[in-house]
Amino acid sequence: MLDWLMDGYTQSLLVFGGINVIAAYSFYVPYKTGQVSLGQAGFMAVGAYGSAILTQKFGVPFAVALLSGGLIAGVIGVVVGFPALRIKGIYLLLLTLGFSEIISVIALSWDYVGGAQGFRNISFNPFTLEYVIAIIVVLLFFFARLERSSLGRAMDSIHQDETAAEVMGIDVVRIKLLSFGLGAAIAGLAGALYAHQATYMDSTTFNIMLSVEILVFVVVGGGTTFWGPLLGAAVLSAIPELLRAMRDWLELVPVEWTDFYPANRIYDFLHDFLDFENAKRLIAYGIILIIMMIVRPDGLLTRDSLRRLRLPRWKARHA
Amino acid sequence: MIYQQLINGLMLGASYSLIAIGYTLIFGVLKLLYFAHGEVFMVGAFAGLFLVIYGGANIYVALAGAMIICALLGALAFYVSVRPVSKDHPLAPLISTIGLTIVLQNLAVYIFGGQQVAFPETIQQSLYTIGPITISFVQIFILAVAVALMLALWLFIEHTRMGRAIRATAENHETAALLGVDVNRVVLVTFMLGSGIAGIAGVLDGIKNSGISPFMGLGAAVKGLIVMLLGGLGNVPGAMVAGLLLGMIEILSAAYIGTTERDFFSFAILILILLYRPTGLFGTRTTE
Repeated sequence: MLDWLMDGYTQSLLVFGGINVIAAYSFYVPYKTGQVSLGQAGFMAVGAYGSAILTQKFGVPFAVALLSGGLIAGVIGVVVGFPALRIKGIYLLLLTLGFSEIISVIALSWDYVGGAQGFRNISFNPFTLEYVIAIIVVLLFFFARLERSSLGRAMDSIHQDETAAEVMGIDVVRIKLLSFGLGAAIAGLAGALYAHQATYMDSTTFNIMLSVEILVFVVVGGGTTFWGPLLGAAVLSAIPELLRAMRDWLELVPVEWTDFYPANRIYDFLHDFLDFENAKRLIAYGIILIIMMIVRPDGLLTRDSLRRLRLPRWKARHA
Repeated sequence: MIYQQLINGLMLGASYSLIAIGYTLIFGVLKLLYFAHGEVFMVGAFAGLFLVIYGGANIYVALAGAMIICALLGALAFYVSVRPVSKDHPLAPLISTIGLTIVLQNLAVYIFGGQQVAFPETIQQSLYTIGPITISFVQIFILAVAVALMLALWLFIEHTRMGRAIRATAENHETAALLGVDVNRVVLVTFMLGSGIAGIAGVLDGIKNSGISPFMGLGAAVKGLIVMLLGGLGNVPGAMVAGLLLGMIEILSAAYIGTTERDFFSFAILILILLYRPTGLFGTRTTE
């Protein structure tokens, strides 16, 4: 539908970037109460397979399948959230990772969804970009309200000190379950969108590295504010494309312009630098992550840095 | 048939144990999830390959070389991705070691290519038959190295000054420091020790599977984590036994139930342990 605005390639880049943003928010919601999940890819898989079964085997329209995918993932999220209540830190990481791996084993051994051959010929949804934009807008609006609501503050207090929150009369169990389930539901939406854009998936599509990537989006963007996941996912998804685009622009420069001594060296250097093959680019990415965590362990955006921006609306409310 | 499978399980379990020992040592002294350990294991395998092919080394030299290279890599990992990162942010060291994982894996892809590389035959391929069991010299060799290594490590931890310092640091950093333990040095030694063992495990894995790839680290890391948990966090003998146990379970379920279900069992065990015995099968000091 946005064809008048941009070509298909740009649309698909935006769709996958947007799915990353949604997935980052799926991590952010449970993280707001201090629950760190390495299983968001597993919930994405639930939403993706669930919605694809509905559209392909039962002919359900995409919008219904999308919501059902989110709902199924949310229900499973609450089920996983119950045991997750009891454990923390590395134990929770491993529990969610184990859940995600079990989902992928089920996808591999269940022939109804293609088994080892993968789930093929999922119907392509031409309006995915619109859905992605709509969901991100709704999420941003939701988080902006949540930030200043009693529920949002209760979630923050659980993150900081669970016992103190409980003593203050906050229903820790209910809020933690709610946030875990909500996170899973958002991941389910992201998975359903992915399935109907890529039209193919198998048991390795939603793997551990995807969960790790989602975690990285949030921590790099900044996990203390709801703008962080958006920034992290957008920046980290855009960097490879920007580098590729810059190299393509560089190649548009006429040869005569750079055909003398210092310019040709500079041109070659820039071209080599931007002409990343996958391995080299990922090495740079890893180094950036390490430096990031040494320099800014809280991520790019924190509450303090937002406050320093001095948004006028904030000032008015604080006055 | 069952004996043969038990031997296979023992072989698989021994490499799980060796990886998990490093994990559990590092977790013990630092209480953080160090993600890059699987990649150290992978680098060990490639270091062994490199020494054999280009250095013309025999297998003993390759094992020792891989151990030294990985110990140095462990020290580097500590100084680059753990020491400078603030401990007040629980996710920061996790992310920085994930960064290191990505760097090491893709460095290996860049140098050796993304395909599986054949590991040269360095040991005679003779077979021995003892009663109903047929066992190859390679298998005996791997088991002997693994057992000797575990024994040496156990003696080191239990009966040397450094071993005692490691145990004290794992118990409590402040108390250990007050009692005169140089905590930073102990943590560094622990990293080198764990990484060196992972390096040997990598070479042994190369000999056993006769092929190695830059992507072998992630699976090993995940299995190592499960074994660490199964044995109890920070519990070295626990990790040894749990590794053998998981290896057995995986091989037997693959042989008698199905190969796709094999991973299902290890992760189901992981979740059951987390829910019902978070201190691991053999107990450990603390849980979160």
